[in-house]
Amino acid sequence: MNKKNWLLLTVLAAIMLVLAACGGGDKSGEKGKEKEQVDTSKFPLEVTNKDEAIKGGTLKVALSSDAPFKGLFLYEVYEDAYDAEILSYTSNSLYPTKEDFLLDDDGLAKIDVDEKAKKVKITLKKDVKWSDDQPFTSEDVIYPYYIIGDKDYTGVRYDTDFQNIVGAKEYHDGKAKDIKGIKKIDDHTVEISFKKISPAIYSGGDGLWGYAAPKHQLKDIAVKDLEKSEAVRKNPVTLGAFVINKIVKGESVEMVANKNFYKGQPKLDKVVIEVVPSASMAAALKAGKYDVAVPNYPANDYGSIKDFKNIEILGRPELAYSYIGFKLGKYDKQKSEVVMDENAKMNDKSLRQAMAYAMNIEEVAKVYYDGLRTRANSLIPPVFSSFYDDSLKGYNFDKKKAESLLEEAGYKDKDGDGFREDKDGKPLTIKLAGMSGSDKDEKIVQFYIQNWKDVGLKVELSTGRLIEFNSFYDKVKADDKEIDMYMAAWGTGTNPSPMGLYSKNAEFNYSRYTSPELEGLLNDIDSAESLDPAHRGEAFRKWQEFMSENANVVPMYFRTELIPVNKRVKNWSVDYLSKDGVEKVELTAEDPIK
Amino acid sequence: MWKTILRRVLLMIPQLIVLSLLIFWLAKLMPGDPFTGLITPETDPHRIEELREMAGLNDPWYVQYWHWITGAVQGDFGDSYAFKDSVSSLIGDRALNTLWLSLFSVILLYLIAIPLGIYAGRYQGTWFDKGTVLYSFISYAIPTFVLGLLFLFFFGYKLDWFPTSGTVDVKYEAGTWDYFWNKVYHLILPGITFALLGTTTVIQYLRSEVIDSKTQDYVKTARSKGVPMKKIYSKHIFRNSLLPIAAFIGFTITGLLGGSIFIETIFGYPGMGQLFIQSLGQRDYSVITALVLLFGFLALLGSLISDIVMSIVDPRIRIDN
Repeated sequence: MNKKNWLLLTVLAAIMLVLAACGGGDKSGEKGKEKEQVDTSKFPLEVTNKDEAIKGGTLKVALSSDAPFKGLFLYEVYEDAYDAEILSYTSNSLYPTKEDFLLDDDGLAKIDVDEKAKKVKITLKKDVKWSDDQPFTSEDVIYPYYIIGDKDYTGVRYDTDFQNIVGAKEYHDGKAKDIKGIKKIDDHTVEISFKKISPAIYSGGDGLWGYAAPKHQLKDIAVKDLEKSEAVRKNPVTLGAFVINKIVKGESVEMVANKNFYKGQPKLDKVVIEVVPSASMAAALKAGKYDVAVPNYPANDYGSIKDFKNIEILGRPELAYSYIGFKLGKYDKQKSEVVMDENAKMNDKSLRQAMAYAMNIEEVAKVYYDGLRTRANSLIPPVFSSFYDDSLKGYNFDKKKAESLLEEAGYKDKDGDGFREDKDGKPLTIKLAGMSGSDKDEKIVQFYIQNWKDVGLKVELSTGRLIEFNSFYDKVKADDKEIDMYMAAWGTGTNPSPMGLYSKNAEFNYSRYTSPELEGLLNDIDSAESLDPAHRGEAFRKWQEFMSENANVVPMYFRTELIPVNKRVKNWSVDYLSKDGVEKVELTAEDPIK
Repeated sequence: MWKTILRRVLLMIPQLIVLSLLIFWLAKLMPGDPFTGLITPETDPHRIEELREMAGLNDPWYVQYWHWITGAVQGDFGDSYAFKDSVSSLIGDRALNTLWLSLFSVILLYLIAIPLGIYAGRYQGTWFDKGTVLYSFISYAIPTFVLGLLFLFFFGYKLDWFPTSGTVDVKYEAGTWDYFWNKVYHLILPGITFALLGTTTVIQYLRSEVIDSKTQDYVKTARSKGVPMKKIYSKHIFRNSLLPIAAFIGFTITGLLGGSIFIETIFGYPGMGQLFIQSLGQRDYSVITALVLLFGFLALLGSLISDIVMSIVDPRIRIDN
């Protein structure tokens, strides 16, 4: 070998070494060992750090995002999860929540509902000051309604729910000078009249707005200029534990403790939130650059952080479910209602059930998600303990049952090609639409297609491949003929009422199934009788059972979200039920532990 | 000369109009719209429809185009749907970031590439030359994100020499010296990555030009006149070898605003490339169209500048009327 080649080899070897050094760690020890399973219930909800805390200190928060944050720091106008995360430190939230995310009355304000008169009385806590020393009064609770109701308001929050407030629509349309249904009783009492009151009011629904806005700061800014104003983008006045001090647009925010915070001075001096690209989040955590990664850490990358010694990983169930939906009709835009198609390919309960039984969801959850997703049995996440039906069996993988269901329903393989024909003996090809994302998604979908093939069903991807997010929803919404079934997910938010997703008039009822029985069950959930919590819980359960049996949508997974926290952080909790916020958080070292 | 420039500038107008029509029409063809991503179970479909109507998205595309173009010629590119900020101020912020980063890395690039190219050509066949060629091949072959991540992990996290994301630390007060130096500090790592990856073309051009020039008649003449070698290289060959680089200078200058998606994403550096990709993903029409128009304008301007520069440095191709 001559000299030239030696040089080349040396350089190549050097590069490989560097590359190997970077990739090392996560791959080692994977071979030969049974893949470790994560028991999602083992993740703590709160950090276990019991060391003595230092005085004050700066909490360093990594906001995991591949794009700059938008920087709309006002609850009435913000739109995405990143701004919401930043806002949560300066929260103007009026009502804390308790079990099932029902409003509690130990916050800045409490509600008294007069179900008969359809009125809600809001009583404010007295002697509370905004971060700029101005008093917090009923004007600040009323003003948000005037922002959202304004004709120039461009957010999504002026919706049917909001129009449930007496006079909101008239104000929006310019027919009235004030919102008639909102009355200031005195400086600390507000009364709001609604057109109807449902149990959702206790979850902050029906048009009740959960946040205060600093009227003294915002009153001279026209609503159309609000989003560009400094009061929203640069120096919002708050009631929360921290106040924004400095901002580098789209990149980072520095906050200082709000001395006027109504629960007392926060323990920390400062909070610094910085955007960190998702690709380097693991490295950043390991290097001890940050104390906590928010909104959460991607569950499918759990492997790269699980062995870090300097962090503790908290976990909690996400308010969401993934599901598979079967197309059974169309949405009539003119009439705003779902019209079922008797001849739809999937309009056979046994076929749908069989497809659900044939899916080995347990295996996928284990192999592809390290157990961080689990098979869902219901369309209500278990966190809503009074509404969730834990007795539901769901569709546990059962190939035999799938086959027998298909046989009984008349789906038989008559021409012996390995695939079943439909009941009339015609070839049956089912078109499945899925959303593209990581390379994992492709593998998972292929796995399910194999599952269905195993029971003799021919399933193909609509358009031949997974579909990009926007196109996917465009097609699903338009009831594209190429889609017989689809895989999607819903975040439930804190109000789990399924009305907006499954009722006859709901545009988001993408499976396009409706029946008088279902309508009855849905109406019962939000009915006057359901103002009694026991009745509502029962109504929820009946609805879940119906949906499970009917299988027009079949829940696939519940998800667990992971929040890595550095070991110097004390009192950090991700428990939905925790009453303590960021004001209680302390640090036990000057810098994050490396 | 001036007439030519004027003609070229006037020609840009129809070119840009065609470009804007095309991009506007194509943008609307994309599935989804800015409101698709806002949908949660709690959003009211009627409200979404109302917002679409308010934003004029239900009008035929040529009506929307007319609204947009009449605003655009008055300098009003509308508001971004996603950022809720005016497009011009949004692009302005990002353009400034990108400009600093590109300027820094282009200067660095030439500082590295010009000496390497010249000396490699001058001492052709030596170890130095071979090393340079090898280096330029490697830097050409490494994908941007690989080198970017390597540098980030090694110099950013492992050695902790450089900041790992953003353009400036939040603790510094804008306008102070500390603020300025902190900004420069944030530029170094992405700037070096960018520069190292871009050197190949310049090195290769320069090197082969220098090698070619060595046998040219004017070099022989100069040598026979007794001009010292050093002077021949620094005066005669250097100037002639820069010709191909001068040909690109216009694009290099206007390309400063293009940004690099990979670098910006890896180093969390909010710039133009990222803004473009993000707007595409979110169907932020107003930003997409404004950016494409800007990029188009820059490309045209770049070729004009290149032509002008060429005619200045190379009298042979001077355009006459």
